[in-house]
Amino acid sequence: MPRERPADDTVVVVAIDEQALARHGQWPWPRDRVAELVSRIAAGHPAVLGLDIFFPEPDRFSPASVAARLASRAPEVAERLRELPSNDALLGEALRKVPSVLGVAGLETLDPRFAGPPRSPPVRFLGDAQEGLRNYPGHLRNVPEIDAGAAGHGLYSVDLEDGVARRLQMIARFDAATVPSLSIEMIRVALGAPLTVAPATGGTIVLRFGDYAVPAQPDGRAYLAYGHTAPERFIPAAEVLDGRFDVSQLKGRLVLVGFTGLGLADRVGTPLGETVYGVENHAQAMEAILQGRFLRRLPAAPRLEAVALLAFGFVLFFLVPRLKAQRSAALLAGGIVVLVGAGALAFRYAGLLFDPVGPSLGAMAVFLVMQAGSLAEAQRQRQQLREQAARMAGELDAAKRIQMGLLPDPSEVLAAEKRVDVAALLEPARTVGGDFYDCFMLDDRRLFFVVADVSGKGLPASLFMASAKSILKSAALTVQGSVGGVLARAQDEIHRENPESLFVTALAGVLDLDTGELEYANAGHEPAWSHEPRGRPERLDASGGPPLCVLDTYAYPSTRRRLVPGEWLLALSDGATEAMNGAKEFFGAERLRTSLGWLGEATSAVEIIGRVRDDVRRFAAGAEPADDLTLLAIRWSGPQAPGTVSER
Amino acid sequence: MGLAARTFANALVLGVHGRLDQDNCDAFRADLMTHVERSAHQGGVVILDLSGLEYVSSAGLRCFMLASRQAKAQHGRIFVAALQPMVTEIFEISHFNMVFQVFPTVREALAASSLEAAAAFDQA
Repeated sequence: MPRERPADDTVVVVAIDEQALARHGQWPWPRDRVAELVSRIAAGHPAVLGLDIFFPEPDRFSPASVAARLASRAPEVAERLRELPSNDALLGEALRKVPSVLGVAGLETLDPRFAGPPRSPPVRFLGDAQEGLRNYPGHLRNVPEIDAGAAGHGLYSVDLEDGVARRLQMIARFDAATVPSLSIEMIRVALGAPLTVAPATGGTIVLRFGDYAVPAQPDGRAYLAYGHTAPERFIPAAEVLDGRFDVSQLKGRLVLVGFTGLGLADRVGTPLGETVYGVENHAQAMEAILQGRFLRRLPAAPRLEAVALLAFGFVLFFLVPRLKAQRSAALLAGGIVVLVGAGALAFRYAGLLFDPVGPSLGAMAVFLVMQAGSLAEAQRQRQQLREQAARMAGELDAAKRIQMGLLPDPSEVLAAEKRVDVAALLEPARTVGGDFYDCFMLDDRRLFFVVADVSGKGLPASLFMASAKSILKSAALTVQGSVGGVLARAQDEIHRENPESLFVTALAGVLDLDTGELEYANAGHEPAWSHEPRGRPERLDASGGPPLCVLDTYAYPSTRRRLVPGEWLLALSDGATEAMNGAKEFFGAERLRTSLGWLGEATSAVEIIGRVRDDVRRFAAGAEPADDLTLLAIRWSGPQAPGTVSER
Repeated sequence: MGLAARTFANALVLGVHGRLDQDNCDAFRADLMTHVERSAHQGGVVILDLSGLEYVSSAGLRCFMLASRQAKAQHGRIFVAALQPMVTEIFEISHFNMVFQVFPTVREALAASSLEAAAAFDQA
């Protein structure tokens, strides 16, 4: 995110480039040539001149040095040369004619040539602002003759972080002395203002000179708001030396002299991904100071980033398990946008450096872990549900098997019986149901049968059904007398163990297989049907009483009827007559009558219930069975086996 | 299925609508029981107007039976009136007409309750 370029180019760089080296010889130049360059620049009256060039050793081209080498060969020439001022003195003299700033480079070890403290501008410290400043044990500076000509001294130091200049050392200590950066010093000298260093908010410090303030971290470093490299600020040194450049253009400007020639210049990477010459780094620093474009990274910034990560992490932690996957992904994306946006806004408008990348990456990691966790949790729950369903299904299956096991198979019970053909069917509506039937021989000629329906459905009804069935059977076997009496006895028994006040409808009958004598009683149940050979289906007398356990002391009447050989009976539950189709119509007694009317003379009991079942199911096609369907068909063949009986 | 309640003197007429089966009988039962209890406390009669009832399953009949028992225990009375043919048949087959006094119309049920109730019905 480059900062905007200044409108006026106050800062210019006189560049000792390839062209200058080609024209004026290889570096190092004799310092009288450097002095000439300085003098020409000085003629333009710049506000300040800074040299990004070091002269730590005396010039070997100085006349005295040459004289020493010529002493034996040309003593008189040597004598003459010795009288000339040294090149270093010439440069120092040239520097003295313009407000100039030379450099000091910080070293981690002491250079014995420069044991004493470097020359430094007066710096006033307020509070404990100097406590945390970086301290260099050693330094490099220029030879004294040159140094003497400088109005100020600035630090050349760029801290490269990962090979990129992000922070510039704005001020540093050399034990006793304190030296500001070349950029600050140049501006300060141009202004002729003193430098004050004061503590600032958030543990930072601020460097003040004239109207300018440079915020810095306690160690004296500051983040530089880099702009893009600006070729137009470079002036070739050769053109200045040759007089082709009009030096009056330098008036009032901040002029840096430095290298851009290959092999001479240091190159520095900027956070913008560009590589700039070291000298431009100083130029950019000056521009930043002039425009107040400093980035501040508060000492609290890492803590703020950690807090942002924690807060975001907690939000994700609590919300991700409660939100759908898409929403939590949106939450993550939104949070990252907010973080990046906050970072961008802080940078753009407050010059504050806040790094949204760390918290965002952290939040993403939290999110991924959460997702993995909730995925595992969801799978675990699905597995549990599956197991539960399987267990339930297994239990209901077992209940169904038990219930169906309670019902006798007439073909087995009456396997040897030739006088009667019995078949039965029970199709529960909800896995286990409340219907039941029973049939068994009371003695060698009397067949007892019952079809019943417990109020309600499902497991409770089926449990009640199991108990009601066994009670009915025991009543049938013990009560001598009428079928009505059997029902009354059963009612007494069931009533005794009926906390839920369920009731049972039942149609019970006893058929004498020798005589065809039928006695039956009805407790609120669907009437049975009979069909004589060559006759029509007949709905049997509906007289009787309410279901068992509705009126506790009701005495059920019995009805008698004499069957003819070949006549059959069909007892059924209301699952047949009250079977419903999609239009919410009931199958009803009339449809049943029609269905039964189609059955032929010789239809077996199994065929009867099969046909009725098929007709009912076809009628109710598609609709879920609302009630259990129970059918019991009894075909009396006559006192003897079929075939031996002559039909009437 | 909500119960539409109307009062005629000491008689509470509850209109039962739709189908009464396993799926809705619990709510119906709770509702009916409240009415029966309140009416019995006031020495009144509850008349179930079944003109809107299309079908009643065995679970529904059980609700009627429980209401009847509760009324009996609290010395109240329940009549049923205006049965549709389908429900009439169910009542006949299950012999619930032995459990309840069944009247062809609400007016006749009210007349059997009290003269005041019948008069209130006629005026309404």
